[in-house]
Amino acid sequence: MFNILFRQEIREIFSSFIFLPALVVLTILVTLSAHIQARWYHNLVEDYTLRQNINQAVSNETVIVLSRPLPPLLPFFNGVYDSLPGEFKLQNDPVLANPLSGDVAPLSWLFSKIDLGFIVGVLMTLIAILLAHNAVVNEKERGTFRLILAGPVPRRMVLAAKLACVFSLVLSTAFCTASLYILVVLVSSGGTVALNAANFSALALYFLACLLVLIVFTALSIAISVSLRHSSIALGVCLSIWGTSVLVWPSFAPYLANSFLSVPLREAAQREIALKEGELSRAELTEHRRLAEALKVQNVGVESAWSQYLELRRKWLERRHVEIGRLSELWKRQIRVQRRFSNGVASLSPYLIFNEALGIVCDTGLESYENFLVSVEQYGQNEFQPASFLHLSQQKSWLKSNGAGSPFQPRSFQTRSVTLSRRLKAVAWPISILFIEGIILLVISFFRFEYYDIRL
Amino acid sequence: MTVTFLASAHLMALDFQQRWNNWNINQISQQDPVVSGSTKYELLDGSFFIRLVTGHGPPIHPPQPLSALVKGMDGEINRTVSVTNRIIFGAKQDEPLISTASNPPDTSFAIKLLVSLFALFFSIDAVTFEKETGVLRAMLALPVRRWQIFLSKLAAAFSGLLLSFTIAYLSEIAFLYFAHGLVTNGENLLRALLIYCTAALYGLIFVFIGLFISTIAAQTKIAVTRALLVWVSIVFVLPNASALLAEMFFPTQSYNHFNVRLQEARQQIRQTAVPADPTDQQGGLQILKQTMPRIYEVERRLTNEYLTREKRQIHYARLFAVLSPSGSLSFGLSDLAGTGVGAYDSYLDLLRAGQDKMIDAFTRQLDLSYQAGVKLVQEAESVAGRQRDQESLGASLRSAAMSLLSLLSFAVLCGWAAYRGFERCDMR
Repeated sequence: MFNILFRQEIREIFSSFIFLPALVVLTILVTLSAHIQARWYHNLVEDYTLRQNINQAVSNETVIVLSRPLPPLLPFFNGVYDSLPGEFKLQNDPVLANPLSGDVAPLSWLFSKIDLGFIVGVLMTLIAILLAHNAVVNEKERGTFRLILAGPVPRRMVLAAKLACVFSLVLSTAFCTASLYILVVLVSSGGTVALNAANFSALALYFLACLLVLIVFTALSIAISVSLRHSSIALGVCLSIWGTSVLVWPSFAPYLANSFLSVPLREAAQREIALKEGELSRAELTEHRRLAEALKVQNVGVESAWSQYLELRRKWLERRHVEIGRLSELWKRQIRVQRRFSNGVASLSPYLIFNEALGIVCDTGLESYENFLVSVEQYGQNEFQPASFLHLSQQKSWLKSNGAGSPFQPRSFQTRSVTLSRRLKAVAWPISILFIEGIILLVISFFRFEYYDIRL
Repeated sequence: MTVTFLASAHLMALDFQQRWNNWNINQISQQDPVVSGSTKYELLDGSFFIRLVTGHGPPIHPPQPLSALVKGMDGEINRTVSVTNRIIFGAKQDEPLISTASNPPDTSFAIKLLVSLFALFFSIDAVTFEKETGVLRAMLALPVRRWQIFLSKLAAAFSGLLLSFTIAYLSEIAFLYFAHGLVTNGENLLRALLIYCTAALYGLIFVFIGLFISTIAAQTKIAVTRALLVWVSIVFVLPNASALLAEMFFPTQSYNHFNVRLQEARQQIRQTAVPADPTDQQGGLQILKQTMPRIYEVERRLTNEYLTREKRQIHYARLFAVLSPSGSLSFGLSDLAGTGVGAYDSYLDLLRAGQDKMIDAFTRQLDLSYQAGVKLVQEAESVAGRQRDQESLGASLRSAAMSLLSLLSFAVLCGWAAYRGFERCDMR
């Protein structure tokens, strides 16, 4: 009986005008966007190699430039990778990491790139809604619903057949879409996108997130379809919820968060830091003048003077680190609090939770960016500054053979590696929320269907 | 619609206020003194010195007031830029704050989504509902011309859309005017009016599309589904495709690539100009006088090439955007608000002119005395550091002309298609 119902539902959907045209549009769009994303990634890889060469050439004991490594799954979900600076310049004096410019990309303010996350999160969820919104309400309008429920078929079987039909179509479409996208990216990228075991497991998580978000929207449509009497109203309600959670909320949420928890922009923060730096520089120069005069009066030898100078320099560098670091840390804390609030506001939308999950899985989200920032700070503190100071202490300019000491070669910069278990832990909360939402909506559908009064 | 427009206005006004305050602080910081000094440790058996310099960052250009209405490319200009013999772009100002993975919720976004959706919903059942209920046959059997029936349906759908949009838009403008003190002068109000007219034209296109689909579909739900698929294609897929096509056919080199080419060119020139005797100061100075102008010219040429390619890509993206009403709308509204392609072009031209001024000054400085050279460079700096003005209304209209023409063409085409569809509708 289940098979008969299932086949009947499949026939109905295929005979409608939604599925096949949507499939055609998806195929074209997936191929085009996958190809463009792959070529863009290929150019990014070349650019990254170029940047590494420039950075090596310009880096020295006072300045070093650190680049963020390219996430291997960037063509699948761009996240905020493009929007945030991927390079930082560390200077020994002042002691802060300053972001470099990033690329000039005016068109990105008007149009965002289409990646697999967009295709699944926006287009496929819309297709799921169009397929599922009239699964039950259509029969109510036709009058066949009463007949079906009055028959000997258990209600659960009827609902299960409808759910199975819609889910199987939506999920198989998602699978085909994702497979086509991966294939086109691998072919078009010219070998720059490599799928090793770690990336495959990340893609598996990616696909799981895609399935869950599609289940949520499908279950939502079915729950609404069960609850309402007219398909046009059901479609209107489904579309309103979809539009709000997929289109409107993602744009409004960050700005809304900013309006409640406003943080000064970069220039405001930098001016405070620059004024403090100026104050500390003046004070340090004054102390150096006093020390220089005292040493001259005492007829101290140059080697001994050099040691005392280094000691004073170290003291002031530490003081700068503490005082300027405090100001910088205050600003960064405000940003972190705002971002957490923004995440909380954004979690009202399943689409944004889906994006959050993809960002974690593909290393293109805010969390991986913060991971990179922490790595930069730690590298600056633990590696660059001590190595720079050590190199400085060997640069005795009064000696003719200046610079005969070892060349400045700090340890190479590495971001904190993300193991599979860490990734699973990080992605657990968005995946869980999607899972719980899906379950709740399915339970609502089940109860509404099970206890539907056919006399009404 | 009104709630969305008001929310958008409030959030974008706050965003503008923040950027404006940020710019003010940047301008104040330009007057902050540069702290620099050095101390020499002069000992009996040797000497060394320490030098410290701390100063302010480069200037930012001011945000445009109407970016509270249509942000356009104003966000791209919101970064420090240093203009000397090179143009050095700094980091974007608001990056740390907002997750910029999504489009800003400005009026252009609201119009693109809501006006088109409402237009479709107002018109999608204009014909199909009457087909389903059988009223259309009766109506067509009356001695009323089809074009009159079509016109009445069009007027009903469009007036419904226009009424709701007008209320929402007027509320937004009034809110910006009274609550935030924006859109106050005559020119900005005129721009706001032009944005309104463009949005109305955009809505009319979708009313025609809705009527056309309604005419060819047998049932309302078929019409609604087709309309949604068409809406997604027009509003999301085609506009993004125009940007992708421009990037594909007219790629630009990345900013890093451009910096590498500059560096390589400089190194090449320096390598060809090594003095025979490194201790010969006069000889070294002569070589410097010969190589520096060459280096400046190479920097000028490569910068011009880079900026020209950026501009070309944006112009072609605007050209490809005529494939879709939403693409034309995005470009058109941003141009009318003074935050679009025209304004961005003017900004790049301003930077380029500043660079030219600085390079000319540096080149002439080599032949002048120290004081005269410093004075010349300072004069050039004051010109090169000029802030951008708001684009004139005439320039904005010229820049938006292609997009507006495209919208008009779409309106005519869709109107003709809808009318022909209705005219040929076979009621048998």
